[in-house]
Amino acid sequence: MRKPLPFSDVQHLQAHQFLVDEAYLLDAQQYELWLDMLTDDIRYVMPVRVTTARGAGFDTSPGMAHFDEDKYSLSQRVARMGTEHVWTEDPPSRLRHFITNVRTFECDDGHLEVESAELLFRSRGDVNESALLSCGRLDLLRWCDDRWKLACRKIIADESVLRMQNLAVFL
Amino acid sequence: MTAHRDVFENVRRGMIPAHIYNDDELFACEKQRLFSRAWMFVAHESEIPQDGDYVVRRVLDDSFIITRDSAGAIRAMFNMCLHRGMQVCRAEMGNASNFRCPYHGWSYRNDGRLTGLPFHREAYGGDQGFPKDGQTLLPAPNFASYNGLLFINLDPAAEPLEDFLGDFRFYLDFYTKQSTHGLELRGPQRWRIKANWKIGAENFAGDMYHTPHTHASIVDIGLFREPKAQKRKDGATYWAHRGGGTTYKLPPGSFEERMRYVGYPDEMIGRIKNVWSPQQQRVVGEDGFMISAATCFPNLSFVHNWPKVRDGDSDDVLPFISIRLWQPISADETEVCSWFAVDSAAPTQYKKDSYKAYLMCFGSTGMFEQDDVENWVSLTTTAGGSMARRLLLNSRMGLLSDDRPVIEALPAGSFHGPGRAQVGYNEYNQRALLKLWADHLERDQAVPRKVTA
Repeated sequence: MRKPLPFSDVQHLQAHQFLVDEAYLLDAQQYELWLDMLTDDIRYVMPVRVTTARGAGFDTSPGMAHFDEDKYSLSQRVARMGTEHVWTEDPPSRLRHFITNVRTFECDDGHLEVESAELLFRSRGDVNESALLSCGRLDLLRWCDDRWKLACRKIIADESVLRMQNLAVFL
Repeated sequence: MTAHRDVFENVRRGMIPAHIYNDDELFACEKQRLFSRAWMFVAHESEIPQDGDYVVRRVLDDSFIITRDSAGAIRAMFNMCLHRGMQVCRAEMGNASNFRCPYHGWSYRNDGRLTGLPFHREAYGGDQGFPKDGQTLLPAPNFASYNGLLFINLDPAAEPLEDFLGDFRFYLDFYTKQSTHGLELRGPQRWRIKANWKIGAENFAGDMYHTPHTHASIVDIGLFREPKAQKRKDGATYWAHRGGGTTYKLPPGSFEERMRYVGYPDEMIGRIKNVWSPQQQRVVGEDGFMISAATCFPNLSFVHNWPKVRDGDSDDVLPFISIRLWQPISADETEVCSWFAVDSAAPTQYKKDSYKAYLMCFGSTGMFEQDDVENWVSLTTTAGGSMARRLLLNSRMGLLSDDRPVIEALPAGSFHGPGRAQVGYNEYNQRALLKLWADHLERDQAVPRKVTA
């Protein structure tokens, strides 16, 4: 089994702080600043989870994802949030990204691999029940321009059928 | 259904009692009278390409295993063990030669035949007590396909699928037959929305009017060049038997030029010309209309759009196709199942870009769909109250008070497809869909055929 960096390791502390700082921006919907935390070659993927038999050897839908993004498509999503016609977030959702179970692994080429667990709470309006989305994340952080940036994120949803009206949010 | 006679009369004149979008009693009627005898989409053949492949799909509360058995035949079997009723398959997809019930170990071949029954001799006295031969998982009462789309009908006496679809098949081909190789489906993405199933079905059937406003943000960011108000109302809506949809009016040009305008590469256009009839090609080439969204009654919808999939100044766009099911959960909840579809013979790069186009526009993360669902959830919530029972929603767009049309229907020479076609903003298709809904709900309750083992 791969050994994560000790919690006292400065690189782990930096990775953890990166995720917490990022969660703050996502909660506050400061998406332009969030985009700036991503490398230009970012790959941002959230496969569709499926229920398969134990031993089937796969538990994601072949060739299908919820998100399969590059910088262009993420920038378009952020740009849309900045228009006056983003009805699904106007009024905005109340969001809370809870990040925990952070483990950091050092790669040979200087990247950091970071695992985390995430629980997103999303509340809209005052009638319908709020929604939760639980997922795991596997991130790749790259040191560039004197700071860590997110180069790749794989989001592992814990549900096969999402109980959220849409994913007009980032995870 | 005399209790709801007023509802149906109002619906037929285009005045919709708002509570039909969140009414437990009507939902119970829909289950008994509509979903129990309409052809319900469950899967596409391309989802189970290999012998032994299966997917598990529901028709409302009924779970079916859709398999390609070891001899290559496609089947739909009720996912309930003949012995104690346990689900024999609890995965949603995979490959299996047998399904073994976890409760007592009865097992079934992937064609449904009961083959394994532990302690058959000791417990039942062998075939004397329980003749094993000829026992199968219950087959779907009716099962048929069109262009690889697989449908179940719970009514054994249902009219044939081809008759049910009728002239709508002409338009279904645009989405599901782009070469002799057939369509390839991926997905579905699945998520639940607190909205009544009819709203999405109506919206996809004919709501050109919402596009410029609901989807203004898509034009703001330059993702899609078409939904500007002026352009959208130049499109035509059409309705043919059990389905209808919307189109965009394309700039002047030949069939090939217009297919290129929405982003089809020449090799795909060549294959499309081999499979679309001259009449189908005329709708694009002569009439200038390109299909966009559509709904096949009751709850199957399609969409075909052509956004800009990459950065830069170029105006290059690329089309995508999505098939979606509005799977009813309750009066106020729907599971959306949204597939990406592409011609299986399409070039690899095209498939990649088209998939990207789909993800940006529709599905759980789609930037079009996000704002649609916001509207539908809000509408459904409000429709559940008592005031909604006093409100008739005006769904008469396109009609004058004496029922004459605001704009005359297109003559056959200007629209080469079957059914009625209409340029401009109107709600002909939403009315057609809800009239079918009312007709089904007024028929006698479907009587399930008795099944004896």
